[in-house]
Amino acid sequence: MGRELNRRDFLKLASLMPLSLASPQLFKLLGAFASADVARQNVLVVVFDAFSGLNIPLNGYARDTTPNLARLAERAIVYHDHYAGSNFTTPGTASLLTGTLPWTHRAMQAKSLVVAPYQRQNLFGLFEDYYRIGYSHNGWANILLEQAKDDLEELVPWKTLFLGSYDSFLHSLFVNDNDIASVSWTRNVNLAEEGYAYSLLFSHLHRVLQESRDPELTRLFPRGVPSTGDVSSQFLLETAVDWISNRVARIARPFAGYFHLMPPHGPYHTSHDFFNRFRDDGLKPVSKPDDIFSDNLSYATLLKRRTEYDEFIMYVDQEFGRFYEALQGSGLVSNTWIVLTSDHGEMFERGISAHSTEVLYEPVIRIPLMIFEPGRETRLDIHTRTSAVDILPTLAHVTGKPLPAWTEGKVLPPFAEPDANRRIEVVRAARNPGNEPLTRASTVLVRGQYKLQYFRGYPEKGVDELAQLYDLEADPEEMTDLAASQPDVAGELLAELKAKMMEKDKPYM
Amino acid sequence: MFACIIPPRSRQRTQPGDIQPLQKPFLGRYTPQTLWSLFLMCALPQHIWTLLLAFNDISWLTDRTNSWDAIGVLCYGLLFAFVESVLVFIVAAILGLLIPKNWEQNRRLALLGTFAIVLAIWGIVSQTYFLLGWRVPDAWMGFLVQSGHPARYIYSVLVVMVAATFLLPAWAVLRQGRGLKFLNALIDRLGMLMILYLVFDFAALIVVVIRNL
Repeated sequence: MGRELNRRDFLKLASLMPLSLASPQLFKLLGAFASADVARQNVLVVVFDAFSGLNIPLNGYARDTTPNLARLAERAIVYHDHYAGSNFTTPGTASLLTGTLPWTHRAMQAKSLVVAPYQRQNLFGLFEDYYRIGYSHNGWANILLEQAKDDLEELVPWKTLFLGSYDSFLHSLFVNDNDIASVSWTRNVNLAEEGYAYSLLFSHLHRVLQESRDPELTRLFPRGVPSTGDVSSQFLLETAVDWISNRVARIARPFAGYFHLMPPHGPYHTSHDFFNRFRDDGLKPVSKPDDIFSDNLSYATLLKRRTEYDEFIMYVDQEFGRFYEALQGSGLVSNTWIVLTSDHGEMFERGISAHSTEVLYEPVIRIPLMIFEPGRETRLDIHTRTSAVDILPTLAHVTGKPLPAWTEGKVLPPFAEPDANRRIEVVRAARNPGNEPLTRASTVLVRGQYKLQYFRGYPEKGVDELAQLYDLEADPEEMTDLAASQPDVAGELLAELKAKMMEKDKPYM
Repeated sequence: MFACIIPPRSRQRTQPGDIQPLQKPFLGRYTPQTLWSLFLMCALPQHIWTLLLAFNDISWLTDRTNSWDAIGVLCYGLLFAFVESVLVFIVAAILGLLIPKNWEQNRRLALLGTFAIVLAIWGIVSQTYFLLGWRVPDAWMGFLVQSGHPARYIYSVLVVMVAATFLLPAWAVLRQGRGLKFLNALIDRLGMLMILYLVFDFAALIVVVIRNL
């Protein structure tokens, strides 16, 4: 270090002088190239419907439901406290797509649409210079994609990834009322789910026809072929994964893709590989008291459904693992932001199964979020609370786009500093018309360690207003309502939540 | 097929309430009145079952969607029930062609009506089996799943059982004058009830058309 420069070294350094003089311009140019690289990166959002973040071992679940996700997490950013915007498909998906909460986008009821500005102000509008492609197994999410179709280069028809069926003609026969016609047809012929159906004879004939279509499928899926719950809409996740991975490898780049796949949403028809994997494994979930919105399901029934759900998650895990490997094979992993998440969770407690419920306990609103950043080879765990509405601004940020003014989300860590005062809000108002003030709704505000759950307008349950307070750090299972013992905290959070609701209701007063 | 229950020709007498002799034969066997009564008998159990379960679903559906959609599910259900009734009726009418031409209309109707009712009862029993929460023993389930054709085995057994349970009531109806009289009276009364359900079907059709406009 202490030696003097010789003539040779001096000449070497001197040769760099012009470069150092030009360095500000050079670095700018290099920066521009780097930005151009970022702008060329693809964006791929993969949503698995009704995937609870609390049923995966990455978040401490006792059952090993996701060995592939655990493996892939070693090169991902894993968010451990991630919340959905709502607790069912329409509002939850709209929150993902628009970066706003249901009280803003107003797609609050099943099959409803977002209000006009968000028809364009969404994930697809954001990436207008990309090849934009969308697909959903779920008919309700597909309605939202159809609403945004002017901003999509390719909206894959939802029938594309379903198996053929003798009764598929019903979809074209009742084209303007497909959803309800399908529900009724399913109730008519589907003996598999409940063991009974409206039809006395068709139902049996239907079963024989389905079985004779491909006997191998009956063996591969002992609980039935995966479906949307509508008997004429059966699918294989394998087919969907293969189709999507092939398609995204062929489309123009950069692309922004949104793929919404049905599992692990019920019916929980897992594959032969995972059938009975967790049966009688001794898992004993905490027994929780029935809620006022309880469906009075027994502990044994809930445990059985939870087990079937967990086995179905294994199917999702397997197929996501295959999907990731296919993307690796096509080289997309190195230049694609891959987001794995869900639209809402699922619950099996308090006498309530699945997510058709007014309550917003953690299992039904906590969802997985893993972001696979191009080039990342190490795992990063994020434990700050984050929301589904954060995904849109984060994708804008990481691809070098200006943050949209309309979003209610924030750029996720580590791409921005975590916000110590972050509030997480979740809204369910399935029976409140979108164009009316929130008079019948369930809402949640999480701030710091506290979570306030606020119900308004459920006269059939004797609830005009009800606020429950939980300390998520001391009581993560939400067993003890602190609203009475800590009225100051509850009152403060409630006032804040009500003020927010009032603000969001103003255009509809 | 029905040789064991065909009454000897010498014993066939016209009973009070018998349907009149063949006036306008259809394929040499049915009058329009017989066909209509047979259709009503095929449609009745299906409609009752559909209405029972659909009304049971209405509150669940209303909670998750809205009243209009819940009514929609019921109305589609009734339409599907109507279509199913027509198909069952066609099958029953075709089976009736196996019955000798010289059978009186009321006996023909009684036999086919019995067939339709027994079939429906079996349909109800097979579903009630699940509604009551009974379970097939695990060993049987294992065998059925491994076979690759569980439905084939189940329905083969079912066909045998239905056939066996059909023969006894059919014998009672055809060999016993009282049985025949009772069944004809029953068909008359249930037919009236079924006409009410057909009115529901018509209303359901209107709702379905409106929903699809």
